[in-house]
Amino acid sequence: MAHIAVVRRSMRPEEWTQLRFGWLKRHIYKKQYEIKTLQIRNARQVAEMEFVYDDDYVPLCKGDFYFTPDGTAFIRGDIVIPEDLRQEELWLTLKTAAEMIVRVNGAYVGGVDPNRERVLLTPYLAPGTERLHIEIQGYNRSKPDDERNPESLSVRGCRQIFEGAYLSVVDHAVLDLVYDLELFLNIAGSELFSEDYRAFLNRELSRALDCIDFEDDALPGLADAKRYIDEVVYANDDYKGSGDVALLAHSHLDLAYYWRRVHAVQKNLRTVLIQLRLMDRYPEFTYTHTQAYTYETLEKYYPEVFAELKERVAQGRFEPVGAMYVEPDCNIPAAESLIRQCLYGQAYFREKFGKTIRNCWLPDVFGNSWILPQILKKCGVDYFVSNKMSTWNDTNRFPHNNFVWRGIDGSEVYACVPPTHFITWNMPSQIQENWEAYQDKNTGGQTLSMFGYGDGGSGCTEEMLELMRRFPKVSVMPKTEHVGAQAFLEKNLKDNPKLAKWDGELYLEMHRGTFTTKAKIKKENRRLEYKLREAEIISTLRALGGEAYPAEKLKACWKKLLVNQFHDILPGSHIAPVYRDAMADYAEIDRTLDEVIGSGTQYFNSLNFVRTQLTFFENENGDSTRFGKKGYWCVPNLPALGHGEVRRSVGTASRWCACVGDTVETPFYSIRFAPDGSFESLWDKTLSREWVAGPFNRLCVYEDKPGVYDAWDILPNYKDKPVSIEVVSPLQLQEQSDEAATFETELRVGTSTWKRRIRLFRVSRGIEVENVVDWREKHRLAKAEFTCNVLAREALCDLGAGFIRRETHRNTSWQQARFEVCHHKWCDLAETDGGIALINDCKYGVGFEENRISLSLLRATIRPDPTSDMGLHRFAYLILPHAGDAVHAHINRAALEYNIPLVKADVSCQNTFPGLFLQAMKLSEDGKMVVVRLTETEGHRGTLQLPKPVKLLNMLEDACGEAQSVDYHPFEILTLGIPLQQ
Amino acid sequence: MNLEQYIETAIRPRLQGDGGEVRFAEQKEDSLTLVFQGECSKCLILERCVRWIEEQIAHDLGVRVHIRAVRKKPYFWDA
Repeated sequence: MAHIAVVRRSMRPEEWTQLRFGWLKRHIYKKQYEIKTLQIRNARQVAEMEFVYDDDYVPLCKGDFYFTPDGTAFIRGDIVIPEDLRQEELWLTLKTAAEMIVRVNGAYVGGVDPNRERVLLTPYLAPGTERLHIEIQGYNRSKPDDERNPESLSVRGCRQIFEGAYLSVVDHAVLDLVYDLELFLNIAGSELFSEDYRAFLNRELSRALDCIDFEDDALPGLADAKRYIDEVVYANDDYKGSGDVALLAHSHLDLAYYWRRVHAVQKNLRTVLIQLRLMDRYPEFTYTHTQAYTYETLEKYYPEVFAELKERVAQGRFEPVGAMYVEPDCNIPAAESLIRQCLYGQAYFREKFGKTIRNCWLPDVFGNSWILPQILKKCGVDYFVSNKMSTWNDTNRFPHNNFVWRGIDGSEVYACVPPTHFITWNMPSQIQENWEAYQDKNTGGQTLSMFGYGDGGSGCTEEMLELMRRFPKVSVMPKTEHVGAQAFLEKNLKDNPKLAKWDGELYLEMHRGTFTTKAKIKKENRRLEYKLREAEIISTLRALGGEAYPAEKLKACWKKLLVNQFHDILPGSHIAPVYRDAMADYAEIDRTLDEVIGSGTQYFNSLNFVRTQLTFFENENGDSTRFGKKGYWCVPNLPALGHGEVRRSVGTASRWCACVGDTVETPFYSIRFAPDGSFESLWDKTLSREWVAGPFNRLCVYEDKPGVYDAWDILPNYKDKPVSIEVVSPLQLQEQSDEAATFETELRVGTSTWKRRIRLFRVSRGIEVENVVDWREKHRLAKAEFTCNVLAREALCDLGAGFIRRETHRNTSWQQARFEVCHHKWCDLAETDGGIALINDCKYGVGFEENRISLSLLRATIRPDPTSDMGLHRFAYLILPHAGDAVHAHINRAALEYNIPLVKADVSCQNTFPGLFLQAMKLSEDGKMVVVRLTETEGHRGTLQLPKPVKLLNMLEDACGEAQSVDYHPFEILTLGIPLQQ
Repeated sequence: MNLEQYIETAIRPRLQGDGGEVRFAEQKEDSLTLVFQGECSKCLILERCVRWIEEQIAHDLGVRVHIRAVRKKPYFWDA
């Protein structure tokens, strides 16, 4: 018998309840008075607090279009409060898709946006006020992730229709019942709750609404309905829930994403203002807010709101969380950058609030480097909160929510990775979902559920707080507690012996493309991180000679760099204007650092070891060319932290590189090249071994279509569809000097041209590959692939302050998921007696499989930025075959020399801190000490002997002791303070 | 400033500011064809924005044009 699907056309009981719920909401306002005197002026924000106006004020009437693309609108109006409203509790109501800040009679009264439509006025008006002067600043809300609040999805777009503004009086009896129904209808609609209880709700909510006569605008029976809800629905405790969920109010704010950083100033103001206004009305409400940078902008531009915030901080109701200056990407920044995030963040919180923040708060970050626990611990941070591993992993379920995270050097912090998203709207179903997903029910104490809209959605709403007041009365829900962040962490994690331990990086099994997208941002970030290091060391050594230390200039450069390490800027997941802002910032940092570094008569080696690697020196009379500039290659042999002349070697070996048949002979190698610049053979004359076991240094381009998270993701099957590469001009010798021989090939990929210059050296084992690419593709991933004649089950990857071993097999889903990982300056595949290192000058994404390394070079994504990565790219990498393993071959030192160009400065330092890497040298923030940061990068233990006793500091530059001899362990970062009078 | 330059310098940066993208395609007398990408390609109220661009052109260049909007959706939205 054929099955016939029956479509029910009559209304189901729960639909009847929903319909009447909608009718009830129409009665929330018992009086409304339309404001008809508003005017609008359209503008475009061009800098923090700077606007270009399109026109002068014009009348704004209901039904008019308002807002323009990327527009800010200023709306104003004067109104006399109608007589019949003067004794009432007065609200301003305005339904909008935009984000609006509202001032009335000069007072910041709150904000409206797609998540809230009214602002309470009465408490902020002087008694007897009869006239209102309204000022509204609105930013058009067009962010793409609004599906979190489906109601706002339908109102997205640049040109909105003004739906009118009103002075309103709320009917609290109606509103009270609306919130009761919101609560129970959410439970009734969620399959996470007991089917029997939901049937009970569907039956009894309908009966409650039966009490109301909706035909009459006065809604007779409203009180009866409320009584029914209280006495029948709330009173029922036949159905028991389980669980213990801590509810934490928080609003995540992307400083830049689908908006420029300049807009975050107002997004932040609105968010803070709205939370402060909720605190005025809900005495139990506490809220957490991250990023010292956002507090700084609030203090700078809106001091009156900041003063209120400060008062709430003192009361313990507004809680600064996250020790860092911004919420940075935690894969790509150097160790010193992550330290400065904490140093400048904590300095701000200490100065303004007298607090050292004990937690790091990074819910939206795309994975976290293994070097973080040590940095956090030494920056006064005991707790780490993140989120994406538990909610976004595409392959494996991260096994813990509340746990201990052990870092590369053995440092441990308590970690909380809540089981559900960091943006929720505090609905019973979301709380229940959190409890069910929580994996540490028996060991971790309470689970954490964050609530509050993010990114200018401006945090918590009245509705969230009203529902939270009702939760304890609902027996089917988990037990809930509204908590502060630090209180939650200390209550559940501190000294908890049952917590599981995770020893390793917190790799996010998603967003693997962010190691590569927007290559120029990554290149500038790398270059300027090292240039800042250089500028600080030179400035410190000059200060010791009596010159002024440019502390403010250096700090300003650091802060600008740190802001651009935000987790949607440095990873490349942003729109084109954000990219332009970042590049402008980098240019400004570069100019300032050039001024700071100045010049000298001799080259200065800022590395605390002798520079022995062959180095290129630009010189218009040079006999070699690199990236189009003339110069010469020589081994500088400059002493550690010393300066000196660099002497060019005298050319005595003009025939050191010879092409014999199809083989190129150098003092180190016999090489057979393919026309595309890949190697068919790389025979090592010194080590008597072949390094090539297949395609090696082959440029490979793949179709790269990961879907809607285009800039973020690379799919595991990205190799399925290779793109053909045409050899336009086969590899041939282009230039040969006393020290270097350069072979060039030009390739074509689609409409892009790719010049590869392979550079061989007389005195160096390194083989440099220079790339100049005019990149015009879409949906492409370019990689350089190396099939090495090396048997290794682990690859070593530089993390910037130590290295991590990553398995190269695909035995389990955990290795399979890590098909693309982040590394810093180098990676290495080695046997015990030799291997191949790949040193890069600006690349981060890499994959390993058995004996193959694939270095990600360029992507061509179209969302969020359809122009992403188009244009000219210049980058290089160095293939460095070596004896022994990466540590014994001093690959990290070679990579430092490759990445840190020599500059001229006539300074030097006698103490060279042997055995450790001088990561930073600066004057302390109080100007009284030289701060020296030293990193153990090779996994050794040792003792540092110093000529005089020094202060042992944490990374916040607090003294923790004194010593002349300092023991260190593998991957430890030491911070020493040398008082200036010494 | 011709229409192509105006679209490139005055309109495009504003649409990019909202995650959109617009490129000049062609002009035939008073008819202007623009290609909309990014967020614009799936905007439910793109027509309003198109009318605004026409108004801006009339205001800033003193030229009345009719814009033909071509949506170029990326593959992942082209269902």
